[in-house]
Amino acid sequence: MSFVEIVILGTVIGGVWALVASGFSLVFGVSRILNFAHGTYFALGAYFSLVFYTVFSTFLPPYLSLLISTFFAVILTGITGVLVYLLTVKPIRNYEVMVILVTLAVALFIKEILLMFFSDVSISIPPYISGCTYIFGIPITYSRVLALSIAIISIIALDVFTNKTKLGKEIIATSQDLEAAMLVGIDVEKIFVIVMFISSILAAIAGILYAQIYAVNPMTALRVLIYAFAIVILGGLGSVRGSILAAFIIGYMQVAVSTLLASEWAEIVAMVAIIVILIVRPKGLMGVE
Amino acid sequence: MKKEAIIIALLFLLLPTVVRGDILYMLGLAFIFVVYCVSWDIIAGYTGQTNLGHTVFIGIGAYTTALLNSTRIPHPNLPIFVTIIAGGFVAMLFGLFIGCVCLRLKEYYLALVTAILPLIFIQLTNIYSGIFGGYEGFSIPFSKALPGGVIGNYYISLIFCFSSIYLTYLLVNSRLGLKLKAIRDDEELAEAVGIDVVKYKLIAFCISAFFAGMAGALAVHYKLTVGVDYFGIPLMLEIILGVIAGGLGTLYGGAIGGFLIFTAKNWILIQISSYLSTILPFRVSDELILYAILIILVVRFPRGIIYELYTKLKLH
Repeated sequence: MSFVEIVILGTVIGGVWALVASGFSLVFGVSRILNFAHGTYFALGAYFSLVFYTVFSTFLPPYLSLLISTFFAVILTGITGVLVYLLTVKPIRNYEVMVILVTLAVALFIKEILLMFFSDVSISIPPYISGCTYIFGIPITYSRVLALSIAIISIIALDVFTNKTKLGKEIIATSQDLEAAMLVGIDVEKIFVIVMFISSILAAIAGILYAQIYAVNPMTALRVLIYAFAIVILGGLGSVRGSILAAFIIGYMQVAVSTLLASEWAEIVAMVAIIVILIVRPKGLMGVE
Repeated sequence: MKKEAIIIALLFLLLPTVVRGDILYMLGLAFIFVVYCVSWDIIAGYTGQTNLGHTVFIGIGAYTTALLNSTRIPHPNLPIFVTIIAGGFVAMLFGLFIGCVCLRLKEYYLALVTAILPLIFIQLTNIYSGIFGGYEGFSIPFSKALPGGVIGNYYISLIFCFSSIYLTYLLVNSRLGLKLKAIRDDEELAEAVGIDVVKYKLIAFCISAFFAGMAGALAVHYKLTVGVDYFGIPLMLEIILGVIAGGLGTLYGGAIGGFLIFTAKNWILIQISSYLSTILPFRVSDELILYAILIILVVRFPRGIIYELYTKLKLH
């Protein structure tokens, strides 16, 4: 596999990871919650989408049912994220270790539910478009090109939303100084819920895109978490832009390691890289206090 | 406190005369699990380091003794009690290493990194499956089992459990224990009064790892198999749940909580899940119920169930 191929495939997977990590980082930056259930929303997005697709495709044309199922799956995952936050995380938000424990328990709980209904097999979702194009003589499926485009559009939309709209500015204010934000009249509880909704939505979109290219199984919920951690540690906890940059670095690294060594090594290299970075810079590359 | 501990120990010593073999087998494993919990409490409860990778020590202890008793690597023929202690020491070396890596990390970063560590080991056992046997692991020969059958095993893990708790009790009530608590309560203040924070954090990591490694190694000779579940996230969650249920940083809390959680999971929950699976159209796993209970418990009693009940009783 050539260098160009690594760059192209790494960019696609980096785009997906950027969606995952930016949401994870946004939640931490605003509410200081380490959401171990974040990878679960990635898996849930894919599973909801598959369920809706099988239901809708019985009476709708496949293309339309794919779009509708994506829409419903993303919204439903967002609602799940908010419900998990309101029911389990919010009452104990001041106990840091408990938040980790409860979100990890939610992740394993939902994994068990997925295992119960779908058993331990991998699923894929039919891609939005088929066929492939040639970039520098390398065949790249349209679904990967579309996945990268959707990822980039979503990230730009997130950036515009947080920097240009009033609500987005309230989110930034909350992440900069919680008490000052409350003093100027920002309803931080509402902001926390909105941020949780956005982050779950981004994870769900990433999960759907990922399931169209590769495959998702119940264990993905935990495996995605490794990459999310690697990315946010590399980019610095709470820094959304740092996470997006780090996501592409991890994406390239993952593809390079998978092709040069074996795919099992990709996770190990990512994890060892995290530890090495933290020994050198204990707050990540662009971390916040 | 001492009087209660002796009464409980006597009760457990007499238990084999009245209780069935399969329950004794499960209780023996519960004692080993209690050591997992108590050793985690040394680092998390007494020293205040959120170590989510405690299963690394358990797994390393387990794999060390398992490999020293199999034909997978060349090794001298050692008695099993030597290899179990060797498991503890190898785990301690890793404790020292992980302690060194994590020294500079604070709160969230420490939690993230230690949460990742067991996953590295799980992947490595899979990659080098020729040695480590992949996800399923491998068995050790029957001749390497703990002596004395079910009752002998029960007594060995009982003695191991109570002596570990007693040593930990001596430790946390010594000057060393006081220094660890000082680090937990205020690291900068502890440093200001002349406590070598780096040294004592490393000591805490080593002691915690040593007990966990020994316990993991003992579990291998108890069950005669080793696999990646020794490293697993579910095991970590159960350990945390055990300690949290009893109360962090209290020692007896971790011991009681760990014992209750383990027996509840492996005795009561299995029966509930098999009952639910017969009346419902799908299989309900015992883990599912465990996680549901865990979520409810944590949300209702974020400071530990026994602790909150205790303070409530004290107030009235």
